[in-house]
Amino acid sequence: MSVLIDLFTLMAVGSGLLFFLAGTIGLLRFPDALSRLHALTKADNLGLGLIVLGLMPQAGSALGALKLLVIWLLALFAGAVASQMIARLVQGGRGCGRG
Amino acid sequence: MPRLLRLPESLRRGAPRAFAFFALWLILHGGGRAGLAVGALTAIAASWLSLVLLRPGGRPVAIGALVRLALRFPGQSLLAGLDVARRALAPSLPLRPGLVPCPTRLAAGTGRDAFHAYLSLQPGTLPVVMRDEATLLVHALDLDQPVAAAVAAGEADFSRIRGNADG
Repeated sequence: MSVLIDLFTLMAVGSGLLFFLAGTIGLLRFPDALSRLHALTKADNLGLGLIVLGLMPQAGSALGALKLLVIWLLALFAGAVASQMIARLVQGGRGCGRG
Repeated sequence: MPRLLRLPESLRRGAPRAFAFFALWLILHGGGRAGLAVGALTAIAASWLSLVLLRPGGRPVAIGALVRLALRFPGQSLLAGLDVARRALAPSLPLRPGLVPCPTRLAAGTGRDAFHAYLSLQPGTLPVVMRDEATLLVHALDLDQPVAAAVAAGEADFSRIRGNADG
């Protein structure tokens, strides 16, 4: 059973790392700032989510697993809000309202 | 609810938030007697600040709609990540990036900001700025995708959390 869990961890963390790699390649290859934000907000968040998913069975306690999940949610929240602010800055703050 | 109304408004509004912040503290920091006291004080301070910065909304949150959105989120996140990874790794770099004006009905405020943050985690869409009060400019990696339709569907789903059946 623990071999299966370790295998699951390896696969999930491994695919998480692949998404981080893809996000970084996107950051380098995509042509403009807004396209690069897609790479950061989507590929990296999924990468972190998969790493968290893979590490949760290794956390040793339900509280530890919950902590990992909360860290992912906080990173999602921070990433989504920061990408919003960067996108608005890139666009030169045009438009109206708090958008 | 006469008994609740006698309590100061801030206490009634702040108590659920304080419990939530305290739970967050317990998850992130763990137990321990000294930690509990610091955590309780932190939770109270955070609740006070959150009431100042984020005034309580009028309409209650529809839990069912929120849960449905949360359950669909991992799948959407997977689609979004796969889409970006596929484009980033393809040698031909299949992109047709651009801004799409999308009609939106959410009023300015926290709800709209939250919707934009949610939308930025969905496949293919990155909200940029409001062009005017009713038009959101959304950046897309591929203009051939049905971006405006995806934004409209997302707004309808999101609005149900606040109890607007028709968005």
